[in-house]
Amino acid sequence: MTAYIKDKILLQASNIRLAYDNNIILRDINFCIRDIKRPGMQQGQVISLIGRSGIGKTQLFKILSGLQQPTAGEVIIHDNKTVKPGDMGVIFQNYYLFEWRTVFQSLLLAAKKNTQLKGKEEAMINHYANEFQLTDELKKYPQQLSGGQRQRASIIQQLLKGSDFLLLDEPFSGLDVCVLDKVTELLLQVSVSDELKTLIIVSHDISTSVAISDTVLILGNEQGKEGATIKKEIDLVDRDLAWQKNIKKEKAFLETVEEIKACL
Amino acid sequence: MIVLQLFITIIVWHSTSNGLIPKPGNVAAAFGKLLGTKILLDNLLVSLVLTLKAMCYSIIITLFFAYTSVIPFFKSIAQFIVKCRYLTLTGLIFIFTLLTKDGSELKLSLLIFGIVPFFTTSFLAVILNIDKQEYELCKTLGYNNWQTLYEVIIVGKADQVFEILRQNFAISWLMITMVEGLSMSEGGIGSLLIKYNKYNDLTNVIALQLLIFLIGLCFDFLLGTTRHWLFPHSNLKQATS
Repeated sequence: MTAYIKDKILLQASNIRLAYDNNIILRDINFCIRDIKRPGMQQGQVISLIGRSGIGKTQLFKILSGLQQPTAGEVIIHDNKTVKPGDMGVIFQNYYLFEWRTVFQSLLLAAKKNTQLKGKEEAMINHYANEFQLTDELKKYPQQLSGGQRQRASIIQQLLKGSDFLLLDEPFSGLDVCVLDKVTELLLQVSVSDELKTLIIVSHDISTSVAISDTVLILGNEQGKEGATIKKEIDLVDRDLAWQKNIKKEKAFLETVEEIKACL
Repeated sequence: MIVLQLFITIIVWHSTSNGLIPKPGNVAAAFGKLLGTKILLDNLLVSLVLTLKAMCYSIIITLFFAYTSVIPFFKSIAQFIVKCRYLTLTGLIFIFTLLTKDGSELKLSLLIFGIVPFFTTSFLAVILNIDKQEYELCKTLGYNNWQTLYEVIIVGKADQVFEILRQNFAISWLMITMVEGLSMSEGGIGSLLIKYNKYNDLTNVIALQLLIFLIGLCFDFLLGTTRHWLFPHSNLKQATS
């Protein structure tokens, strides 16, 4: 088994509840994300939030990002800070970018929000653009980019902003097989770029998201209770299913996927 | 295709026109003659200056109320301005005469009063249709409310302001002839049109209408081209991956 320790808490979601009038969407959401440390390397965290369509994943996504206030409960990051908009990098499902800005301009706006990059914004944009193969697209407008290019531009934008947390809403939807492999590779690359980098992937693509995660949170309904909650938390590191290439072929992986499906 | 349609129209016009309705040839001759006269140039200049002045003031007023409409106090004012589309200018001439110093000011204020509700209606529609994700992206990037307003509404919708300007220029150009008819002291194409109408000079009326129509088309093209030049993204089609 790979050596690791789970250190301090990076994010804590406590008693989150979301209801509209008397309609309960989410209830009793409790989980925490800890800093995973592996000897001799930088290892970020990748958490998959899996659930059926319409179960409330996007609502939870918005609560985690601070874009939506829960009816009750709170999300705490960096020990004691309640999450607010701007604390987390958010990559929307359709990789939204400002349509009136070129890619470079959009990235520059994000970089200028990061005080640590002061004076070296352009250098960092060029560095990321090169790393994510987007150099030739810097002068283009979002309308001129393909879906994959838009996604990479969105990721760079949020990386430049400098948040430790990256929330991704359905990053694998609508991608063909070749692009899917590139995207998963890209996310793994981001996850090891910093020790505290934490990716929370909201998806209903079980196999792909589990393959790159260290933890799986299953959002679902419990019998007789209204509103979705975290039904199960699976520690993939503990099962020796994390950080491995070609994990999708492993029997234990396939069993875990079946276990998740059964839980939904 | 357009040339063919134009040709058919002229033929139909020529064959159906009788003694009262001038033939296309006569209108063309009057049009040519009109173009060379100083009276047209002077009147056209008066109208154009007045229209452009009214447009400038209207844009400033519209943008102020449209941008501030996100603040509850100004929202109701903007909504009231929108409703003012249903007020007729003719019924307000006396009030405006009392409120203004001279004919020039009267025409300008009437024109502004006529244009602003249409501008505001179009621009508020743009603001209401803003994708929620534009605001959310700003929030995730850590923008405060003012930065969001600047990025999403002022910068982000600048091209649409230009488009509204282009579309509403037609309204201004339509109103100019009406407003100039109310106060004819300084001339203008509106007063020239009324003069020709008064003497039942239909050939010159149609020739002048043709000129007004062509100038309108020129401005439409000019504003459209300027918009695409200033805001290249407004002309882009979604790239296929």
